[in-house]
Amino acid sequence: MALAGAGMLLFALGLAVFAPLLAAEDPRRALLATSYAIYAAPSAQHWLGTDDAGRDVLSNLIFGARVSLTVGFFASFISVAIGGSIGMLAGYAGGATDRALMRFTDVVLVIPDLPLAIVLVALTKPSLFNIILVIGLVGWTGTARLVRAQTLAVKQRKFVHRARAVGASDWRIITRHIFPLVLPLLVVNTVLVISLAILEESALSFLGLSDPTTVSWGQMLNYAFSRGATSSGAWWALLAPGAGIVWVVLGCTLLGYGLEQILNPRAKAHHLMRQAAPQTSAAQSASSAPADALLEVRGLSVDFVAPQQPPAHAVQDLSFALRPGEIMGLVGESGCGKTTLILSLLRLLPAAGRITAGQVLYRGRNLLALPEAQLAAVRWKEIAIVFQGAMNALNPLLPVGRQIAEAVERHDPAATNAAVARRVGELLEQVGIPAARGRQFAHQYSGGMRQRAMIAMALACDPKIIIADEPTTALDVIIQAQILELLNTLRQRLGLAVIFVTHDLGVVAEICDTVLVMYGGVAAEYASVDAVFNQPQHPYTRALLAAFPDFSRQQNALVSIPGQPPRLHALPPGCRFAPRCSSAVAQCHAQQPRLLRVGAEHYASCHLLQPTLPAGGAIPQPA
Amino acid sequence: MNTPLLEVRALHKHFAAGPAAWFQPQPVVRALDGVSLQLQRGEVLALVGESGCGKSTLALTITGLEAATHGTILFAGEEMQRSNKARLRALRRQMQMIFQDPYESLNPLMRVAEIVEEPLLVHSIEPAPAARRARVLRALEDAGLKPAQEFAARLPHELSGGQRQRVVIASALVLQPALLLADEPVSMLDVSIRAEILNLLAALRAQHGIAVLFITHDLSSAAALADRVAVMYLGRIVELGPAAQVLHNPLHPYTRALQAAVPVANPRQRHRRVVLQGETPNPAQIPAGCRFHPRCPLAEAQCKANDPQLHMVAAGHSAACLLLEQK
Repeated sequence: MALAGAGMLLFALGLAVFAPLLAAEDPRRALLATSYAIYAAPSAQHWLGTDDAGRDVLSNLIFGARVSLTVGFFASFISVAIGGSIGMLAGYAGGATDRALMRFTDVVLVIPDLPLAIVLVALTKPSLFNIILVIGLVGWTGTARLVRAQTLAVKQRKFVHRARAVGASDWRIITRHIFPLVLPLLVVNTVLVISLAILEESALSFLGLSDPTTVSWGQMLNYAFSRGATSSGAWWALLAPGAGIVWVVLGCTLLGYGLEQILNPRAKAHHLMRQAAPQTSAAQSASSAPADALLEVRGLSVDFVAPQQPPAHAVQDLSFALRPGEIMGLVGESGCGKTTLILSLLRLLPAAGRITAGQVLYRGRNLLALPEAQLAAVRWKEIAIVFQGAMNALNPLLPVGRQIAEAVERHDPAATNAAVARRVGELLEQVGIPAARGRQFAHQYSGGMRQRAMIAMALACDPKIIIADEPTTALDVIIQAQILELLNTLRQRLGLAVIFVTHDLGVVAEICDTVLVMYGGVAAEYASVDAVFNQPQHPYTRALLAAFPDFSRQQNALVSIPGQPPRLHALPPGCRFAPRCSSAVAQCHAQQPRLLRVGAEHYASCHLLQPTLPAGGAIPQPA
Repeated sequence: MNTPLLEVRALHKHFAAGPAAWFQPQPVVRALDGVSLQLQRGEVLALVGESGCGKSTLALTITGLEAATHGTILFAGEEMQRSNKARLRALRRQMQMIFQDPYESLNPLMRVAEIVEEPLLVHSIEPAPAARRARVLRALEDAGLKPAQEFAARLPHELSGGQRQRVVIASALVLQPALLLADEPVSMLDVSIRAEILNLLAALRAQHGIAVLFITHDLSSAAALADRVAVMYLGRIVELGPAAQVLHNPLHPYTRALQAAVPVANPRQRHRRVVLQGETPNPAQIPAGCRFHPRCPLAEAQCKANDPQLHMVAAGHSAACLLLEQK
């Protein structure tokens, strides 16, 4: 799109620059010579016919490009320079300067452009220079607002704070840190301002306010209209300049939008999307599920696909089981596939995610094979998710209680208003919020209370399982302790099973029954919380524990893990932890280890471990 | 007695909280409400407290990014508010700030070498390009980015979180500061990388004698790095003393509540903790008397009336609690 636009503009520019070579006659000299052929139809001699004075329309069109483009470029240069400076100054200085400049901008914006330009041009002599100046001086307001908004946004960013902390001058901060980040937007804006300026020039010329000694497209239209082109059916005299204007403006617009897409590459669609059921064979693994398992995941694999790239194996061959009232900790560093795993349980993966294998059995039913309508009945009602940062997801315009009521009503559409209100009160009390505060809005809640409200919302349909993605990460320790207590109480009172996603080992030790340690999309270790903390088997689990500052004992220096977690689209060929593992042997770099049963209810995937029992497709079932 | 590297005396920072109603006094948030502390050369002082307690404001006020409402800041014995502009710049050069979010604190369009070089340009140090380059590379190596040559040419998006935080640290080290003000430098990082940055800060102190004011809400990180710990609550320091004592044998009821709330990474030590109820009150409405009394499980009548000051309770260990004064 940018290329097409740029090509169109370059063509027009070429016409303007080489006008004397391309045009059959110079319109400035040709006035007398051809007066016999007024409004001659297009012919071999005059490809686009002649105008009211018998001049060649094609030549006029070519020469007209000069004026239009000159006005467009110079006027937009003036208005972008003025608008850019005012916007940046207002955005950067803030306070009284900002208010004064922006009120001034608002005043200029309120004055209609075209009438003002007409008055100004009429007052001054209608010359090319005056037209450029007037269009430039009138049209900067949009740029000023845009640049101010972008400057404000960039100014808040941490690296600007840091530059200031270092002692950088305002000038340096503006030129080195703010301007380069405003520039892409300014470039896009400039292209669009050029097209506006060209339109404005055409309008002014059409109204007869152009320099009569030059030829411009607007002026051609003006002459054609006022001198009987319509009545004599000389469509070419109108169509040609009109097409010229459309050509250039369309070129600018295409270039502008094209540039915007190149310069501001927005993230590819990453919203949650419903997934089609994967093609998996039901008889994949012999079932030895614990009879009391509420949720059982078998051999789940998820890929992320992108065009021209090998698929990223975000989750591979993952299995676990969850019983009623059990809290399972899902631990791992960022990018290890935790969030992908929990999203795939309910087929809520982003568009690029594909479930390639495995089963998710909820009470014996494979959720991955269910039709969408039946799955919808399970989502939220049976298994609810509290997303990461969900406490910022409350609607600021609705009372919190009302938002919980919506969840209740969806669960039970037949409920009376009184019943819904009673249920909302119950839910709030259950998470430790006085029922009366349901009438308040999210901004009247503290961070901890908002998180409680989100949990209340998740409880609205009496789910059996809550999946909580980093529910306490942004909270202070005391609030975190309160939320952990709350989850523990709910588990005891309601028999809720919880999948608790976190990277905080302290929290895991505090509240979880079982732990699944993920690394690079696979299960590194899966066991009871006691086994994971006191007899960790996988080198990664051990390294993680050594790197964690344990508050309870005075310890030696922390041992960091060298290197960094693998990227999912460039996984090592062997064990995913091998590049960072201090005890890795040759086999570890070559072959991926299987999940071994290393204890009664203890599983780990490491070549250095000896299985105590054959793993053979058994479903892990730690107590 | 040697002069402390940094001394803060009765520092106040008040913000206007929203527009004043007619005929009403302007509501004021007392983000810092009389903070005093000292930091020796080569010492790591952890400043812990919940969000909104004023710990970040303290760092911003010390570096001069926020102007103090009143109070004194002395750097190596020099009063900063009385210094002229040139002197102030020279003093501030010796204290460098490290921000929380390594993903946001680097300009995405600048190469690592340019980012680390910037403080030198700003302060017109090492005008010769070759010497400047050498100094940049040395700072990168000190921050553990080796080979420095290779990292110097990278752009921020080509680095991992831990490496970015190292670049931030390198750009602070390049000025050879005597003091680092590290505002939650590890809270955005993964566990395995967190240890790496904490160890780096410890190494910088050991090798270069750099003092660190380590601001964190994570008591575990404070325990791993700090010599002394100051606990802040609603704009005041409520307990200050050696790290081992403050964290493992806290005296102030608030510090005790904080300590009890820290999850213990050992499932065999699960405890029914006494969770402190409620949340930190709005700093625009600081309670009268002891500011902690509405949440304090031990509060007595006198706590509502009298505002306790920080006082010595053991050698080098002080707390602001009326109940401790009586002993």
